[in-house]
Amino acid sequence: MGKWDVVVVGAGPGGSYAAMTAAKLGLRTVFFERGRKPGEKNSSGCGLGQRWWRDFPEIMEQLTRLPSARKIEMVVINLVDGKNRLRYRCGTTGSDLCARRWPHGMDGISIYRKDLDPFLAELAVRAGAELRTSTLITDVVMEDGVVRGVVTERGEKILCDMVIAADGAMSTMARRAGMRNRWKGGCTLVAQLDFSCNPDKMDDVIGAAEWCWFGPLYGAYQVNFRDGFHIGNGRWLRPDWDMKPTEMISRVLDIPAFQAMCRAVEAKPREYQAHLLPWLERPRKTYTGGMLLVGDAAGFPCPLEAEGIWHACVSGKIAAETASWAISRGDVSESALSEYERRWKSSSLGKEHEFGSEFVGIWNASVFDPGNMEKQIQLLLEFSMLHPFSIVFDWGDAHMDCFNQHLGHFLDIAPQFADFGRKYIAPLARGIWPENVKRILLALKPRIPVFRRLKDEDYFRLLARISKTLAPYLKPGIDQRAPVPREVFEAPRRR
Amino acid sequence: MEEKIRIDFAKLVKRVATDKTGDFIKFDENKCDGCGKCTLVCSFGLWSVKEGKAKISPRYREFCLECAACWEICEAEAIDFSYPAGGTGVVIEYG
Repeated sequence: MGKWDVVVVGAGPGGSYAAMTAAKLGLRTVFFERGRKPGEKNSSGCGLGQRWWRDFPEIMEQLTRLPSARKIEMVVINLVDGKNRLRYRCGTTGSDLCARRWPHGMDGISIYRKDLDPFLAELAVRAGAELRTSTLITDVVMEDGVVRGVVTERGEKILCDMVIAADGAMSTMARRAGMRNRWKGGCTLVAQLDFSCNPDKMDDVIGAAEWCWFGPLYGAYQVNFRDGFHIGNGRWLRPDWDMKPTEMISRVLDIPAFQAMCRAVEAKPREYQAHLLPWLERPRKTYTGGMLLVGDAAGFPCPLEAEGIWHACVSGKIAAETASWAISRGDVSESALSEYERRWKSSSLGKEHEFGSEFVGIWNASVFDPGNMEKQIQLLLEFSMLHPFSIVFDWGDAHMDCFNQHLGHFLDIAPQFADFGRKYIAPLARGIWPENVKRILLALKPRIPVFRRLKDEDYFRLLARISKTLAPYLKPGIDQRAPVPREVFEAPRRR
Repeated sequence: MEEKIRIDFAKLVKRVATDKTGDFIKFDENKCDGCGKCTLVCSFGLWSVKEGKAKISPRYREFCLECAACWEICEAEAIDFSYPAGGTGVVIEYG
């Protein structure tokens, strides 16, 4: 066969979704996988969140029927101190109001990549894309600084109009095209240990849930499948790296509460893996002449929880649509393809990275900073004692006295966190929708005598003049359901 | 009841039985500054430092997890990592 319209490198979720989209758009598409079948080389948490129901509902419907799928109705957080004592366990499920956001409520699913990847690749093949497995792509074909194709390990040149590189964190394509080399501190190494389990006991003990183990010694996820689970523990690959990945994951095995859970589900170690996971404040350059990067290759994983499969599929879709658009215009130059960045930035994928520096900062100053994390656990434990249920079950003194003692402890230690709050938490306030800020202000208005009689718009105008903090939210003409743009928030106040 | 879970990590890795993986880690001794970070990030200790220079085990093809951490951590950029030939190397069944 002669020249292809689109060559996709990699048949992970991003590559397969890009290949499917391109094929559906009528482009002659081929996609390459270095494993003998898709999913054979992939290690990941692979919990698919609720937004999959919004963006890929037909796929999600079918994924729930695949053998390894387990529903996620709750995320259980286990907080463990430096002595491996389980100190706090809580779960998030969302309220019934949350469930109204889309028909499947708060449910996500966890699924092994051996189920997910071949399924997505098959969708691409059915749409008309050609899949070539057991083929490593080792280089790009460049002409005048523009990517014109790829080279297989056997030296075969595959020419095309557009390359979509979905070849993972190390992205040979991005490196060979001169877009970047290492991530230089923006990439984590994740060690992952899989256990086989008794599926019935998994249902009884774990149910429909994902678990996490957080503490000064680990920030580990536990993804639960039908007949097994895996734990993953990672850290940024930076010059201060000081331990073996096997040692890093072994620390989780030392937690007595983890061991108890293993006994209850009859867990037996089954497979060990290690993989790179880009975890960046914001993606680096994602396009060059003739080529677009998707998924991990582009550095798209979420800056807050490092989930990357949804990001891979969304970016794969946008990349294929952009490729189609560029090919039809007959212009695949770098400047034309800047359109890709414009598109993903305005999608929900791009919104994810608007607070990238704060999100990454929070992790670096907590779970990945043992000294700080130990202190934060103390703060959280005191805070948790103010919870109504904790007060009911504190029998140390008269209940109101218990409450006041805990409040006192909390006030004792809270000032230590002023810097953390100022640096990482306060800037997130920019993300509160102006609509919600206004609702709070309107709720307060009748309680403040001087404002009570003002018309709503005069009340807002007055507040904007007297409060530097509130002014950005009350500025006319800004989107009521989006973060206040950074420049509005940082603009010096007019005198 | 506390019971230590013991793991033999190397036994928990599967790979395609073949000798056709090719030479997929290239090392430039001239660039290496002997910092030794590669020895710490490797799950199976395939790198060692001798006389101020890193050295990879001649048997790395039998143990490498293909994680590429040695490439990412090497500030001197002395390690060039590609992947084993298509259809060879590590097989991940429960990723």
